[in-house]
Amino acid sequence: MYLERRTFLKGAAFSVAGVTLARGVFSTDAVAESVAESKFTNTPNSLSFYPDHKEWDNFAELDGTDWKRGGIERHGVRSEENPDGILVNNFMLVPTVCSNCEAGCGLTAWVNRDTMTVRKYMGNPLHTGSRGRNCAKGYAVTSQMYDPDRIPFPLKRAPGSKRGEGKWVRVTWDSAMTEIGKKMHDTLKVGDDLSKKSIMYHIGRQNENGFSKRVQHSMGQDGFNSHTNICSAGGRQGTIQWANDDRNSPDWANAKLVFLQSSHAADAGHYFQQSAGYIADARKKGAKMVVIDPRMSNSAGMADLWLPLWPGTEAALYLYLANRVLHEKDKNGNDLVAHDFVKEWVNWDRLMANKEHLAKMVGYGYISKMPAGESYADFIELAKELYAPYTKEFVLKECKIEGMGYKLDQLWDMYIHAGSQIATYFWRAGSIGHRGGWMNVRAGFLSLVLRGAMRGDIGQTGLHHWQEINLAGTGDAATVAGEKPAKVDSWNELMWPPEFPLSSYEMSYLLPHLLSDTEWQKKWQAKGLNVPTKIPVYIPRMYNPAWINPDGFRWIEVLKDESKIELSLNLSPVWSETNWYCDYILPVGLAGERSDQQSTPSKPEKRLEFRQAVLRVAAEKMGWKAKDPSRATLEAHMKYGLGEIWEETEFWANMMVHHIDPDGSLGIRKFWASKKDPSRAVTVPEYFDAALSSLPKLSETAKAAYPSAEYPVYEYLRDHGAWTEKTDVYKPQEEELGFDGSNYIIEGKKFPKSEVTKDKFGTLWIEEDGHQHSIGIEINGKIHEGFHTKSKKLEFFAEWFAEWKWPEYAVPVYPRNEGEYEKMIHLVTQVHHRHMKGDHEFALNTIYRLPYNIHTRSVNSKHLMEISQNHNPIWIYTKDAEKLGIKRGDAVKVKITDTVTGLDSGYFIAMAVPTEATRPGVLACSHHAGRWKLKDSVDIPGFEHKLGIMGVGAPLYEMTNDGKTGTLKPVEGIHPRHDVWQFKEYNKDLDNIWWDGLSGSWQNAVAAPHPDPVAGNHAWHQKVSIELAKADDKIGDIMVNYENNFKIYQGWRDKLTRPLNSKDTMRRPRHMPRPAVPLSDKAYAVTIKDV
Amino acid sequence: MQETLRIEQLSRINLYALISRILMNEVDETLLKSIIEDENMLTFFPSFEKWSKLKELSLKDLIEKYLNVDFTNLFLMHLIPYESFYRRDDQMMETGGDNPVQALYNDFDFRVELDIARVMSADHIGVELEFMYKLCDAEFKALEDGEVGIAADIAQIQYNFLKDHLLEWAPMYLLNVKSEAGTAFYFDAAELALEFMMSDFEYLTQLKENGFKYNV
Repeated sequence: MYLERRTFLKGAAFSVAGVTLARGVFSTDAVAESVAESKFTNTPNSLSFYPDHKEWDNFAELDGTDWKRGGIERHGVRSEENPDGILVNNFMLVPTVCSNCEAGCGLTAWVNRDTMTVRKYMGNPLHTGSRGRNCAKGYAVTSQMYDPDRIPFPLKRAPGSKRGEGKWVRVTWDSAMTEIGKKMHDTLKVGDDLSKKSIMYHIGRQNENGFSKRVQHSMGQDGFNSHTNICSAGGRQGTIQWANDDRNSPDWANAKLVFLQSSHAADAGHYFQQSAGYIADARKKGAKMVVIDPRMSNSAGMADLWLPLWPGTEAALYLYLANRVLHEKDKNGNDLVAHDFVKEWVNWDRLMANKEHLAKMVGYGYISKMPAGESYADFIELAKELYAPYTKEFVLKECKIEGMGYKLDQLWDMYIHAGSQIATYFWRAGSIGHRGGWMNVRAGFLSLVLRGAMRGDIGQTGLHHWQEINLAGTGDAATVAGEKPAKVDSWNELMWPPEFPLSSYEMSYLLPHLLSDTEWQKKWQAKGLNVPTKIPVYIPRMYNPAWINPDGFRWIEVLKDESKIELSLNLSPVWSETNWYCDYILPVGLAGERSDQQSTPSKPEKRLEFRQAVLRVAAEKMGWKAKDPSRATLEAHMKYGLGEIWEETEFWANMMVHHIDPDGSLGIRKFWASKKDPSRAVTVPEYFDAALSSLPKLSETAKAAYPSAEYPVYEYLRDHGAWTEKTDVYKPQEEELGFDGSNYIIEGKKFPKSEVTKDKFGTLWIEEDGHQHSIGIEINGKIHEGFHTKSKKLEFFAEWFAEWKWPEYAVPVYPRNEGEYEKMIHLVTQVHHRHMKGDHEFALNTIYRLPYNIHTRSVNSKHLMEISQNHNPIWIYTKDAEKLGIKRGDAVKVKITDTVTGLDSGYFIAMAVPTEATRPGVLACSHHAGRWKLKDSVDIPGFEHKLGIMGVGAPLYEMTNDGKTGTLKPVEGIHPRHDVWQFKEYNKDLDNIWWDGLSGSWQNAVAAPHPDPVAGNHAWHQKVSIELAKADDKIGDIMVNYENNFKIYQGWRDKLTRPLNSKDTMRRPRHMPRPAVPLSDKAYAVTIKDV
Repeated sequence: MQETLRIEQLSRINLYALISRILMNEVDETLLKSIIEDENMLTFFPSFEKWSKLKELSLKDLIEKYLNVDFTNLFLMHLIPYESFYRRDDQMMETGGDNPVQALYNDFDFRVELDIARVMSADHIGVELEFMYKLCDAEFKALEDGEVGIAADIAQIQYNFLKDHLLEWAPMYLLNVKSEAGTAFYFDAAELALEFMMSDFEYLTQLKENGFKYNV
């Protein structure tokens, strides 16, 4: 239609005038003030805009609200003469590091110099990994810092009350330290073997590199316990077997194929945000992305190829790729195997020389006959035969992707097209969800090794320790001792039970089971081990074990039992389910309230980041001085209104010096007393300057930049927040070993050539501390540093693994037919499709992260809570739902049954969402949601305000538990808040809370522990059956038979593990270091009696 | 002022007011009632007038169940009614003071109350059209006061603003609205806005070619 002009003239005859119709959004009362001399800029042209570093100490910025109204040109600057002008904030930008996941992205705290409050957290552009960018969790740090339910001071369980009653009194840090310190002193003073296993420091995601370990190490304790076996131990085990490094490290940005098993890296995990950015960079340059995941995650949704394999069967796919690489040729007729790499850098030679093992392989049916010779060509022939059974047809059936053969073809094309530039990160999903998940990693790396992608070159997959900087535990030079503590002489069976000698990390999730299992304790005591039966002092640190671990009711039972745990204190920045059952809650700092050195390799560079107590730093830079410099963080937080919030660095140094070993008689004090002033504890600047000065480039730069500073390295990091020591860290194994003509030089240490021996495989060995250590490898006449393994090559054949009772799995394999499922049960997932018998039986995929709820510390960030509501239903494939009559929003009962013992664990009720985004037969429900509390608030005698408990993050529940069965039922949801008494300025919006939080279930409590017999990880996935919930079932209900769960733990342990026996002389292979505290030969040695 | 000119000017004022209002915020019952009950206005919404829902539903239901849903789709979620989005190479919206349209308003001492407008930046289609309304209104007042020179200056600004801004992008956006519209109302509104702007630019072009000599 084209209207004639006269048609529009009807407009003049409107019954209402234009002035009535118009919205009226213009005004003409402009402020006349000139802004010509203003230094403020309008909205920057680029999102990467950041103030020049020179301005960080004093940067003026317009108030955020006014930006929205058109900038300074509209109202001018606020002043007495112009009260309607725009407010100007005088900021000091203090760099720090996020602590809401393990990625350690750089942050800057924008401290208002006038109010001494942090107005916002932004990125740190000087952090070369995160490049100034953050995810929602980074920006949410402000709402965590000024959380209305922040624990404002140390709390102690009220005298006369029982753990879990919820009665608390206010105490001072000093009184808490006095009581706790005395208990620790008295425990340590005994000095026997058991006393060295008596203080357990149980770390959640620590986000620092070595300080926590030093705490235990300096006390001579084998008590450093981590969360790692519920997080990543499967992935780590597979990498340890290949490379004796527990993580790989991809060069995402330069890859041609981003090969993801799960949504980790691009969606939510290691090191999310940084990795996601580099993956995006790679894709911009044309890289393809493949996501292998039963669930269509955000990553899978935007990938070039989504492969929804049956969870836990990934190894079959990877061995199929290996099979094709070995057997096929490229279009020019060349082999697809990267022979130059495999021949030189894989330990095939040791396998071919080990006739005994080859004979075993014939016995297992892996190969039909002994190889003709020991040459590389013979090895390739062996490998061809070994992997020939893993055909396309086999994969389609085993991974249950019938009809998706075309997807395998697409994968193959991408995989081959990428050449050796394939970057991956094997971490959660297939590696942690399953029994045998570690073999998914073994097999996955094989496919990369054969293509040369594990060389660690540009765009490939390297190893983590090439880049990680672990110096937080090395501040010895600032202390009276001036040297490291001695190795620890004890072995704590509560963390490293004899059934799991090869466990990647501590068996931390079994702690309550091992403490409760007197039969197990007695059995091993009778065999000669000094198994502890209790923990005198239990110290979780930023950890919520009762909630996050499987079988939560067992945790609650043990935490409440004062005969098992005599004293417990949680160093916790937030309320948590675990706090409820502790004796002390000691509030420690979040991302901008603590001092940590962290290092998070997200690209091929050596980089560290430095977390800081930003209010303390800002105050000190403005001239404030603490009364006691070793307690400066606590003093600053109290002075500037944050509350009695402290940090571990200062806390532990003061504990050791003034409370645990005040007279030095235990030999601990010297490791924490300041060298500068031995009467007090070491300070943050002293300690970290000493610890980080060992980086030569950093030290040189800092001294040049701060020539008159007492602590130049500390001051450099204080002002920059991050440091990149080396870029382009590629294939360091190929570096030639340092040699000065008569000595080989490794990390500054000299080894005389005359004392070095070379074995027939070219590996160079030296003897040190009574042990043979390999130091390099000769290849084609040159001596290289090599990989971190004993052989100095990547270990296709994990010889030590064969020696440690698992010979049939010493090379990457997977059951080739149904007949092998039972024989190779250690490699077959507990949720294999063979266990699913009817339409109502499913595998439950639990271990994907919700990007905003990764660790439990962020529970009460209102910003994160708002965006996470209703994001964690039960995903069920549309047609599966149809068969069962389940519709969107229906409450379903999810019953968990163990496939080893056949026992039922109980159920949880959750909301179903039928979707095409999970594969048939597999449900999905992340275990990162479902928080609870038993009281809305607590009254503290003598304190005028109630202390709210997770008031924006967790609904109120009612709990029952009788030692055998536990239940949790939601009582009411979250409400808008009108009771805010602290940080009101930051919480004016709490009236707007619209969510009730009643959308998750505490499924972790229902899950029975599934200890993998090799890696020791908890195999998270569960076999479940589902049905529509009954009328009286509410979403959030759980019922747990934790008596059965105990039997399931025992069943997995007794049916699947290969424990130490009287033939063993060591607790664990000596070359496989314990991940935290260094242990002596005495600790490693073991004698098991036959009884 | 001659009646022909008066009618022309009033029509321009009223039509810019109407389309700016409709394209800026959700309609309310008062506005909808004004349109439906005014046969002159209703002629600009020929499809809407024939839409069966208009007779079947109350104004409240019509708005809540259909018009607001469509508005959300066309103005808030799937289409981007901002000049910077259409004109910048990177398709980013410019919400701060560097927005050239904001700068232009500033030059004329016009200030946009973005919080009242409930839009993200000053180059929203509804705001730009209301700017045209304000200019037409000012031109009309100048003509009423016999300030023909001032009126001519204002007409020149209108010509420039249409040429340099609105017509550089709004037709593309409005064609998208027509294509995506789920209700006859917004289809007609887009059609009206598109046709009227083009027609008005033709009118201003002729006025400019005549040296902005009004037939006063």
